[in-house]
Amino acid sequence: MSEMTITPGSACQGCGAALAARLAFKALGPNVIRHGVPCCPDSVTKTPRIGTVFEGGGALLTGTAHGLKALGRSDVKAVAFFGDGGTYDIGFQGLSGAAERNENVFVITKDNEAYMNTGNQRSSATPKYSRTSTTPVGVASRGKATHKKNIPFIFAAHYVPYVATASVGYPEDLIAKVNFAKDIEGFRMLIIHAPCPVGWRFDPAKTMDVARSGVQTGVWPLMEIQNGEDFKLNYKPKELKPVSEYLKPQARFRHMTDDEIGDVQDFTTARWESLIDNDAKGKLIM
Amino acid sequence: MSYEVMVGNKAAAVACRLARVQVASAFPITPQTTITQYLSEMHANAEWDFDFVNVEGELSSQVVVQGASRVGARTFTCTSGPGLLYMHHPMQGTGSGRLPVVMAVVHRSYKGMQPDHSDLMSQQWTGWSHLYVEHAQEILDSLLMAYKIAEDPRVRIPGAVGYDGYVLSYTAEPVDIPDQALVDDWLPPNKAMPSILPDEVDQSTFSRGWGGGDPQDRWKSHHDAILGIEDVLKETMDSFDKTFGRRYGNGMIEEYRMEDAEVAIMAMGTIAGTCKAAVDKMQAEGKKVGLIKLRSFIPFPEKDLTEWAKKLGGIAVVDRSICPGKGGPVFSKVRDTLYDMEDKPKILQFHAGLGGKEVRVHDFEAIGDKILSYAKGGKADKVTWV
Repeated sequence: MSEMTITPGSACQGCGAALAARLAFKALGPNVIRHGVPCCPDSVTKTPRIGTVFEGGGALLTGTAHGLKALGRSDVKAVAFFGDGGTYDIGFQGLSGAAERNENVFVITKDNEAYMNTGNQRSSATPKYSRTSTTPVGVASRGKATHKKNIPFIFAAHYVPYVATASVGYPEDLIAKVNFAKDIEGFRMLIIHAPCPVGWRFDPAKTMDVARSGVQTGVWPLMEIQNGEDFKLNYKPKELKPVSEYLKPQARFRHMTDDEIGDVQDFTTARWESLIDNDAKGKLIM
Repeated sequence: MSYEVMVGNKAAAVACRLARVQVASAFPITPQTTITQYLSEMHANAEWDFDFVNVEGELSSQVVVQGASRVGARTFTCTSGPGLLYMHHPMQGTGSGRLPVVMAVVHRSYKGMQPDHSDLMSQQWTGWSHLYVEHAQEILDSLLMAYKIAEDPRVRIPGAVGYDGYVLSYTAEPVDIPDQALVDDWLPPNKAMPSILPDEVDQSTFSRGWGGGDPQDRWKSHHDAILGIEDVLKETMDSFDKTFGRRYGNGMIEEYRMEDAEVAIMAMGTIAGTCKAAVDKMQAEGKKVGLIKLRSFIPFPEKDLTEWAKKLGGIAVVDRSICPGKGGPVFSKVRDTLYDMEDKPKILQFHAGLGGKEVRVHDFEAIGDKILSYAKGGKADKVTWV
């Protein structure tokens, strides 16, 4: 595997998204056209890149894949490197269309849980209670009022060959998933949890710690879903760490009361138990 | 050569087959809908080797052809009225990316389902070439020429071919289908785009079509490239005529009975056909009125119009669209073009056929009478709603 990322690039110190790009594109190798829509960091890989309007990611991948087929070059991989805005929100419709058509494309999303490119505005990937520049804390607001959208399940419900989550805190797992998915025919999606020190407000030296803590507390479970039904949890500790270990180091959650932390704990525990249940059956029950 | 009676939308789909389009993508919208059905049938019957991507909305259809065009495939999309507005955002990227995409715009008004030219007129700033055509044969021929022009290395600009909904889209007329071998010879495979394949390039220069350098120069070079289409369009019309034996004026405009004309009516699309009948009638009555059918709105035929204006006493400009509060786009452009002339013809503005309102032969006769009288010093309203 050779390095495919451009250094130093446009990333901030401790950028989880730049790390996600480095790991994913190293595993993908050189025979790739990278698709970008507005997101940060943008100029990340040496591979040829094409871009389009923010909402057009799914359609651009579709067009490239069909164009490559017409040229007899389906060996070239049409790969996306999008953010949570381009995946969960403005790009959602086009990606859903591409998934339903089972286009031969690989969508890699680095999820840093807000619109970081424009300065930390909330997205539908932002977790409950998180303080962002559009969900500030005030007398009438406790940060974001609703939960993060369950995007892996939503895409799994399109019955596509492969949907998985990964974390920059677990590079071996991330690389193994890219290697597994890269040669599958059809629609593949990998959502990579990518801490953002600037938006989440933690020490840039602690990116790996925050990422690992997200997985170890069950806030960001590592999982794989094949064909919309075969389910596997990839990280199953005997006991989850309390969510407070994940929330406390991040100033975006600093305002949270014990009750609010309890709310997140209850939500996380209930969801985890359901995932354990699915994992035991090896089937996704939506 | 073989004639077949077909509706305009089928003529568009047949043009895709003749051009051997490799990737087509569209979302159904009245009155464009049946193009998507014809293409789906042609795909189901494997009439030629192409992919038809049935997307979930017009925005995606425009972006699908962007991706396919960028890697080097010949592409087609089509839409109408509101669907074109939904495509507006990515159309900018297709234009700025200098992608040789070809699109049929089946005109539909924003105020009702019937045709006017407000849809394509509203896209003047997206950096495409805009052609308006009159009948089903001209749809087929113009789409073939649109590929030849868009893929010319001197051009590399996406092309929109507009035709009126219902009147053409769903109305059948005899169409001559050119011989496939002749088309193959005349329109070789698309080689317009530089390669983006990983084994052929190190690093892409395609980033939302912006490229490097002075950002103002990006606008200037785009503008200059579109102005350059005029010569290529005329050249393409000549070679089309030589190969297939048909022509539409010089490509930019098509004159009709202008030989002895003292005044001209300028019109576009299907109503230009109605105007031809009015011109015949008026000339039979000794009235020296001719027609200048405007085909290419972008780029605009400034040279041709200026030449004609030297010989004419008056021009009646018929706009089938309006920029509310501003006026007719064709009229504005005609007045702009004639401003620098020493001895200008008189011009009058007519709005006709908006929202699909019927325009009849006698309406054009009234327009002809007005411009004849005005050119001879009579009084007339500067703007008339027909």
